[in-house]
Amino acid sequence: MTTGLSPSGRRRVWLRQFLIQGCWNYEGMQNVGFAYAILPALREFYAGRPDEALKAVKRHLEFFNTQPAMGAVIVGASVRLEERVAAGEVDPRSIGTFKVGLMGSLGAIGDAFFWGALRPMASAAGAILALLHPLLGIATLLILYNAAHLPMRFRAFAAGMEGQEGAVGWLKQAALNVKTEDRKLAAAVLGGAYGGAYIGRYALQGGDALHTVVLFVLGAAMVRLFTALFRKAVSPSDILSFLFLLGVLILWD
Amino acid sequence: MTLRFALAALLGAACYLDRTAAFQIMLHRPLVVATLMGAIFGNLTAGAQVGAVLELLYLARLPVGASIPPDDTGAAVFAGTAAAVASSSIGLDGGSFTALILLSVPFAELGRVIDRYVRKVNGRIAHLTAEAVDRGDIRAVEHGLLAGLTLFAITGAVLALAFSGAGMAVSKLLLSRFGPASRQEFSALQPVLPLLGAASVYSCSRTERTAAVFYLTMAAVFGAMVFFRWVV
Repeated sequence: MTTGLSPSGRRRVWLRQFLIQGCWNYEGMQNVGFAYAILPALREFYAGRPDEALKAVKRHLEFFNTQPAMGAVIVGASVRLEERVAAGEVDPRSIGTFKVGLMGSLGAIGDAFFWGALRPMASAAGAILALLHPLLGIATLLILYNAAHLPMRFRAFAAGMEGQEGAVGWLKQAALNVKTEDRKLAAAVLGGAYGGAYIGRYALQGGDALHTVVLFVLGAAMVRLFTALFRKAVSPSDILSFLFLLGVLILWD
Repeated sequence: MTLRFALAALLGAACYLDRTAAFQIMLHRPLVVATLMGAIFGNLTAGAQVGAVLELLYLARLPVGASIPPDDTGAAVFAGTAAAVASSSIGLDGGSFTALILLSVPFAELGRVIDRYVRKVNGRIAHLTAEAVDRGDIRAVEHGLLAGLTLFAITGAVLALAFSGAGMAVSKLLLSRFGPASRQEFSALQPVLPLLGAASVYSCSRTERTAAVFYLTMAAVFGAMVFFRWVV
């Protein structure tokens, strides 16, 4: 399925979707960013029809929020829908229904994949390799994250531009739930390696076999304790502040 | 020095834009920011050392919906600058390292408060944009977005200036007041910090499948290091 959007219009919409959070606010969240991203397409579809163009822009200034990278598929599909609205093929209200219907579920899928799996994996890999060389750590973090992030933005947008069916087809084909599980597994391996390497550094400083075992058990128990605290919504800042107080008490003593 | 602070402000603007408003290609991560701040203020490696620990500490707090996590970019600006300055004066020993990571917490929280305020101002910008569109001005959408981006960038530059200045002041005026013995005592807390980072990663990645994998890998890497010590 091809769209009537010119190649330059398509390129502009694709680049603008990177700024979807440019005016993030508590009332409409990504509303201004979404309207900004789709504006070049609206200008083409409603050329010479200023009143309809105005109505279309207002449609996209409604509340909108999703995971920013996953927004690409909704932007693409909305461009396609707007083209059909401009041609009089579908009801304009269907765009709002489509966006509201998709933004919540895509937000949840995107949050789990990008924030809950891909970023921890890239961060842990970067932090480990930074021990060898700082620039190696930075390069690893940026490459691991963006090697998945940028192609996904591109493919999601292209799939959205094929219409609602294309968007749904891409979501099935992308199998993000499987990818999320895989990245979580990789993050667990890297996080475990990071923790093991740091406790191991203290074991290298000396001590007998019992000291070594106690060191590991203590380390593993602390990780378990912190994990339990995070689950009870204790912020890392609270734990760090407590440690700071402990440090002050040590110095006081 | 003026040039260094100007570079810090520029870097701050770019990283804070990446944090929320534009691209999200992870230029704002503490490992990147602290390393670059370290390079600007004279010691890239010192910046990277604190960045590698800060990188994982706040991972468990996800930027989901309207929730705003602590500003780990701001914490990295402070700690990266302070680490670089400390390494060229008193030296970045375990105590100074631990103190800088712990002292970065108020900056992470202050950054979060300011982030909330910026988003409230953006609400006003969005409101004005909608009003202008109601009057028939479609270009107001572009102006509104540009205003939002500018606000994020200027806030980032100002925060980077303030936090890097604070980092320099803490290293020069506060840490130097403590002798090596006091700093040695403070370093007793140092082993806890990477474990907190590992727990953050584990919290994010925790499923039935990954729980055993995490602890087994931790044991394997630890065991390999101990074995290496015995062999060598």
